[in-house]
Amino acid sequence: MTRTSRPVAALFSLGLAAVALAGCSEGESTASADAGSCEPSDVKLVGQVRNESNPYEAAWLDGGDAFAESVGLEQERLTYDGDSTKQQEQVRQLLAGDTDCLVMNVLPNGDADTTPIVKGADQAGAYLVTQWNKPADLDPADYDRWVSHITYNGVESGQQIGDALAEAIGGKGGIIALQGVLDTAAAKDRFAGLEASLEKNPDVKLLDQQTANFSRAEALEVTKTLLTKHGDAVKGIWAANDDMALGALEALKQAGRDDVAVVGIDAVPDALTAIQDGTMTATVSSDGPWQGGIGLAIGFCAATGEIDVADLPADNRAFFAEQFLITDENVADFATPATDAADFECDNVFDRVAGPLS
Amino acid sequence: MTSPAEHARDTEVVAARPQPRRGVSLRDAGPPAALLVVVAVFAALSPQFRSVANFQNIADAAAVLAVVTCGITFVLMMGSIDLSAAGVMGASALAVALLVENNRNGNDLGLLGIAIAVLLAAGLGALSGLALVLLKVPSFMATLGVSAVGLGVATLMFNGVQPNISDTMLEGWATGRFLGFSWLTWIAVGCVLAGWLVQRYTRLGRYAYAIGGAEEVLALSGVRVAPYKVAVFTLAGAFYGLGGVMVTSQLGAGLVQAGKGYDFAAITAAVVGGTLLTGGRGGVLHSAVGVLLIVVLTNGLVQIGISPYWQGGVQGLIVVAAVAAAVIPQRRRNQVVK
Repeated sequence: MTRTSRPVAALFSLGLAAVALAGCSEGESTASADAGSCEPSDVKLVGQVRNESNPYEAAWLDGGDAFAESVGLEQERLTYDGDSTKQQEQVRQLLAGDTDCLVMNVLPNGDADTTPIVKGADQAGAYLVTQWNKPADLDPADYDRWVSHITYNGVESGQQIGDALAEAIGGKGGIIALQGVLDTAAAKDRFAGLEASLEKNPDVKLLDQQTANFSRAEALEVTKTLLTKHGDAVKGIWAANDDMALGALEALKQAGRDDVAVVGIDAVPDALTAIQDGTMTATVSSDGPWQGGIGLAIGFCAATGEIDVADLPADNRAFFAEQFLITDENVADFATPATDAADFECDNVFDRVAGPLS
Repeated sequence: MTSPAEHARDTEVVAARPQPRRGVSLRDAGPPAALLVVVAVFAALSPQFRSVANFQNIADAAAVLAVVTCGITFVLMMGSIDLSAAGVMGASALAVALLVENNRNGNDLGLLGIAIAVLLAAGLGALSGLALVLLKVPSFMATLGVSAVGLGVATLMFNGVQPNISDTMLEGWATGRFLGFSWLTWIAVGCVLAGWLVQRYTRLGRYAYAIGGAEEVLALSGVRVAPYKVAVFTLAGAFYGLGGVMVTSQLGAGLVQAGKGYDFAAITAAVVGGTLLTGGRGGVLHSAVGVLLIVVLTNGLVQIGISPYWQGGVQGLIVVAAVAAAVIPQRRRNQVVK
């Protein structure tokens, strides 16, 4: 404990001092700086994700860079190693600096981490867009500077790949399901989507469901075990993310099976390659580069006054964004992650709203 | 690692009798008995569990954990703790994926690449050992730090694009079979055997016991303990490195998270097998039994169809029960019961 607690304490007290100092200068500036009065060149862009060691979040930050470049700015890339404390520290440090034209596109580590980030940003007057995680009762509409919260409908994606799997095995046969970390909303929603798909396809039978905690290595072992348990009855494997789908593919390879369809979610590069090769059936993309760019774009448009946050309709403040089912038919369009500058123009930033949070 | 014969005499005097004669059989019988009971119960409950294919599957699933546990056992025997497995495995996984034939660069070093990755891991292990003996950082902290260093090195090598291996030999380790078991399983068997030989017949192995049993006695007898500690951590690092290489072979790709969870899984397996956290007891064979017990549990719970929502808790309970059963014969001497 001593190793972590001392630097944390030191940083915390530094942070406190900085907040106190910033508080003094802040007093005048927030009073004079009305919402949306920033010069485009004064805007400071920050993208924050867990780490750059997974392709999805690395692509996210690259999308942020692409947007920043399109408006002649640079994005500050922050990563917090999936550590909630570290994320809060980074945010505190950011908010202790000049926050008048600060735009943050943040991936909160968990639902509970969103609250302090939102409150801090609102107090400091920084423009904030959050993605994926927030507590259900926390609503951007109650805040002036928390412009939007973007997330994806897990039930829908779970169902999309469930249907694609059912189609791939000809509408009937046994499948096994690999669930994510059981106490996460993503795992619960995606599995609910599979159950909905199973209702629509009564001849598809769920032989077994196990958790592999979103991990490729665990999925490999679990799949091998399930293959010995159910043998040739397994016609398809539904995985709650692509990492597990890829682990399942390795297990199939080691078992010498090539008659099993596999689906996942996330559209990581290896999964796209597998779909191109024909070893995997389908995945769902949330479009990471778009997520990295759009959060900054929404904040940028709000900071420069092109969007009036107070006038935004409720379903632009907290919404499900459009996601895309990828199969061998359209995989080529997604093979090289890229952003379209047109998506990030202030008139278009809400084009991908798929519906309000339910 | 010098020849055992010339030092066997003084080692036996110095090593503070790692295996006291009295009660040996009773004390060591706990974990294997628990393993047999668990296997028998699962076999009775599930016909799929007792199939030949499933036993092959269990052996394959145990391979990586067995190698990692082999390494950690030496550290535990010494009375130290090692939390560096996750980071060291990540670093070696990325290193080997980038050195053998892969989709990121033109390297095609084959076996040499594997050797370099294992050496890198051994180097990280040595770093833990040096921090322990030179800087007097407790092993708990030193290895936690080295784990972070390993993950850092791995993340740098990862650089945003996952390296997928296309080296046929390394891929063949996981897919190729000999006498029904994958090559990875045979590698693990080889590691356990090598680990046992090191533990039984070399000065390094015997001193590791002795350091765990009574370091002061050893030091007072004029033995310079520090180099042996560094050597033990280096050896452990090499085992983790090989573990990382094996994960890469299984997954067909170098993952930063290759070693995720293996640090505590290996410590659990070692303790379940009868290696004490206080040092001086247990050994590679004990730990191997512990590994099998853990892997059989994971496999069996799936085979008999326990709901995934229950599995974590049920597995934890059985592990605690197994450890309890294993340590009852030595309860009086078990200093970890605090």
